[in-house]
Amino acid sequence: MRIKFEEQGGVAYFPGLSRPFTLGDDDLSEEEAGELKRLADAARFFDLPSSVGSPARGAADYKQYTLTIDGEGESRTVRIVEPVTDADLAALLKFVRTKVYAARARERSPRE
Amino acid sequence: MHKIMPHRHPFCCVVPPYILERVSERAGRHPAEAAARTLTQDASLRVTRTVQSVAAQTAPKTADQKPGARVSARRAARPAVRINRTIYTTRNTQNLPGDVARTEASAASGDVAVDEAYDGLGSTFDFFSQIFERNSIDNNGLPLKASVHYGTDYGNAFWNGQQMVFGDGDGVIFNRFTGSLDIIGHELTHGVTMSEVHLLPIFQPGALGESVSDVFGSLIKQWTLNQDAQSADWLIGAELFTENVNGVALRSMKDPGNAYDDPVLGKDPQPRHMRDYVHTINDFGGVHINCSIPNLAFYLLATSLGGFAWERAGRIWYETVTDDRMWHHMTFARFAQLTLSNAVRLYGNGSEETEAVQDAWEQVGIVVD
Repeated sequence: MRIKFEEQGGVAYFPGLSRPFTLGDDDLSEEEAGELKRLADAARFFDLPSSVGSPARGAADYKQYTLTIDGEGESRTVRIVEPVTDADLAALLKFVRTKVYAARARERSPRE
Repeated sequence: MHKIMPHRHPFCCVVPPYILERVSERAGRHPAEAAARTLTQDASLRVTRTVQSVAAQTAPKTADQKPGARVSARRAARPAVRINRTIYTTRNTQNLPGDVARTEASAASGDVAVDEAYDGLGSTFDFFSQIFERNSIDNNGLPLKASVHYGTDYGNAFWNGQQMVFGDGDGVIFNRFTGSLDIIGHELTHGVTMSEVHLLPIFQPGALGESVSDVFGSLIKQWTLNQDAQSADWLIGAELFTENVNGVALRSMKDPGNAYDDPVLGKDPQPRHMRDYVHTINDFGGVHINCSIPNLAFYLLATSLGGFAWERAGRIWYETVTDDRMWHHMTFARFAQLTLSNAVRLYGNGSEETEAVQDAWEQVGIVVD
């Protein structure tokens, strides 16, 4: 399973946080890959429309995420605009963000 | 001379003004104004604050009085100035607004994010009320709402069109966002700007909106700390980076392009001059990138004039944001021309202020005359 995650928006622009981040099989343990599949199924991710949510008029500095999951024979890219009120989709997004942020933190480690 | 059409989007005037500053040239230095300000900072006097203070008496013409100003029935019968804050907690979900955590005039909650949001909303309200006689975001007493503990490890704050939202940060890159007063002011200023003119949230109009929020966010902090233009840090979000980050703030108004240079965040991409304007589809067309150009122009104007930045530089910006000629497609150049128009109206042709406005814009590559 392969995940591509991109985060846009927010109160500031950071080039390093805005670039797409990809997690492959090597980045997830077998247990984590299983959890990801369970969360994607619960959120019906592969059945979602290409865009979920839309900003309210006048809203500013909110974030939006573009999430692609390549699974076994299926692939889906969904743009998600916050706030994410669906609990299952929020749980999936939280899982992916946690893994991406942890991977980014590991990028920093060699320099510290 | 750049011709500016007095065109407004039909949705622009739904709500009255609220953001910038209308301090008279003298008000900030007036001892009675300082006394009134000290008194109103006492929370016990916050309720039913009448803002017909000495500052108001010495202030320049209000929006109602200036030529071409919008005069609405709502403004004519606006309610007394009274702050009404409610702070919610979303308990690490994204379900807004969440559960009530603190209401107006109630005691501190003990939750630092809740109490910082409460105090920051109070400082912002006081600034606009005392400096510009603005009655909350909509100039009509709109209750102020904010939600804290939004999401999980959420490193951001935003305005959702109706209220403020704060994350706790991830503790790795970002601290909690309620810790930065200029960020609180920045977000609430989005509400003010929206109530005046619905700037398109993309490309140059969007960058202009971000700059206006930075300008007033910084001024709110400076006013609260009683800092003059020379001693202010002119940083946006200086409290938000953890010690892991190689950077001083999210943005620097006085030194754009040098706020951070970090292995994870990357390098601050903000330009200092129109010749370096960043054309991109990222960041909704570079709204948080190119906002540095009008930010730097404001900084140059404020430091050129000296004294408290909210007095003259801020007043020119406020009068411009609330000007009828603002419209949703506003460009930097049109905005710059409007600041000159307002400087001339307020201070006269050939005045120190007018010349400083022209000089500041010229230094960032925008000629106004």
